[in-house]
Amino acid sequence: MTLGGTLRAVVTFVILVLLHYTLRPLLGWRAPMDFLLLALLLASIRVRPAVAALIGLALGLVADSLTPESLGAGAIAMTVVGYVASWLKAVFFADNIALNAFFFFLGKWMFDLIYFVVEQRLGGIELVQQLLLWSPLSAAATATAGVLLLLIMRPMLEPARA
Amino acid sequence: MARAIRSGSSSRIDLIVLGTCALLALVARGLPPNLRDPVATSMRRTFLAPLVMLQERAEASRRSLLLDKERTAIRDSVTLRAMQVKSLEDENERLRQLIGLGSRLRWGFVPAEAIHGRGVRDVTTMTLTAGSNAGVRRLSPVVSSEGVVGMVTDVDPTMSQAMIWTHPDFRVSAMSEDGSAFGIVQAHSASATSGYLMELRGIPFRTALKPGTLIVSSGLGGVWPRGIPIGRVIEEVKTSEGWARTYLIKPAVSPADVGAIMILRTERALKELDNVWSSVTAANQAAMRIVQAGDSAAKSAALAEAAARRAALDTTVRDTTAGGQIPGGLPPELRPDTLGGAAPLPTDSAARAEAARRAAAARRAAARRDSARRDSINRDSLQRDSLVRSPTRGN
Repeated sequence: MTLGGTLRAVVTFVILVLLHYTLRPLLGWRAPMDFLLLALLLASIRVRPAVAALIGLALGLVADSLTPESLGAGAIAMTVVGYVASWLKAVFFADNIALNAFFFFLGKWMFDLIYFVVEQRLGGIELVQQLLLWSPLSAAATATAGVLLLLIMRPMLEPARA
Repeated sequence: MARAIRSGSSSRIDLIVLGTCALLALVARGLPPNLRDPVATSMRRTFLAPLVMLQERAEASRRSLLLDKERTAIRDSVTLRAMQVKSLEDENERLRQLIGLGSRLRWGFVPAEAIHGRGVRDVTTMTLTAGSNAGVRRLSPVVSSEGVVGMVTDVDPTMSQAMIWTHPDFRVSAMSEDGSAFGIVQAHSASATSGYLMELRGIPFRTALKPGTLIVSSGLGGVWPRGIPIGRVIEEVKTSEGWARTYLIKPAVSPADVGAIMILRTERALKELDNVWSSVTAANQAAMRIVQAGDSAAKSAALAEAAARRAALDTTVRDTTAGGQIPGGLPPELRPDTLGGAAPLPTDSAARAEAARRAAAARRAAARRDSARRDSINRDSLQRDSLVRSPTRGN
């Protein structure tokens, strides 16, 4: 990846992180969109799996620092999601909006699955309700936001042509 | 071959890094709470501080937005309550006045509620919630605490229909409060554009009424008893009739404000009603007169007091001077004790007469002063009374 492409990816990453801490609390939805996960997924398709795992660990710890009782759960989930996303980038991240949306949806659902299982705060019917109702809704919102961002920021995210 | 070896090596490195990251995350997850909290807090206070601040501000903005909706809702409900309070106060005031009217009428009336219609014609008629079962008869006068409202035209057992004074056919024989002018009151024909007004017709040309003169029912005609307020004179209306005057009257009762009313029974309408409506008006006018009289009495009392002091001083000075003309002056038993005390003994008959006149003037001034004080006390009590009774609306 060229220097310009790297800079554009970093700027996009920072914007998504900022959106996570501004737009998300402002909207206050029950099934919120996850801009941190979008940042991780968009970064993972541009780096090696090991780097994606490191980025996932860092982002997870950042997210967990606001919920100390679940510290580490988000880090594990994001590490795994980042690593897997980086491995699967060749399969999923084609120039197809629907495929990209599915990629974001799957990433967010997988993250929630690992997060709530590792966190062990919810159990029984609550866990089932969370994983089968609220997590898919949140994943759908995240996928929609991700697709919109891809459409808006396409010139910024496309690799520079020679 | 070399690429495959490099690829396999990279995969191993990736797996090692993944395993290390997963291990670190698990270590973080496995931290005891007493270590977990300081780690999270230190992260929030250092490199995450800007992000935490952003999130706090976003949440504060969201709270503000939500509270703004709540504030608007609260403001709306408070405004609604305030409007309701005003109407309740008005209704309370009307009912209070009606109760006062009932206590002054004592007997022979039927209390009822007026139900207003919404049609064009309904501004001249209204339905009353009392009928023949309660003693209401056709042509029974309908009054409120302010004065004339209308007249019953149709009676059912439980309801009745009344013609308001705004009806074109409504007439009432009227007179000025002092009985100096008699005429017929009816709705003003041009009221549709100038609001609800009345006109007093048939006043003899030699009789002029001043604006503000109270017009009451005269008792002639056998329907309306004497003394019910109708309205107050606004101005004279120029007409082509040369033999009589016509006056524009501001009605005592506004049709839109009519709610609770009284229907006078026939036997009560035949009796005297002079003191029923006039008591409040009379009390107000008496209070006004007393205020004016009290002011002038206090002024004259102050002047008289000053004159008495001057007279006493003059007398003392003259007596002292007269005493000086006598060698050794007056004997001690004849000298004045104080300036304001009893009048000094005169030395001759003329001086004695003058002293007696001044003493009488001083006594009169003191009496006037006491009277003025009594009047001011009465005035205060009357003002309190009128406040309690609340003056008649529209008068």
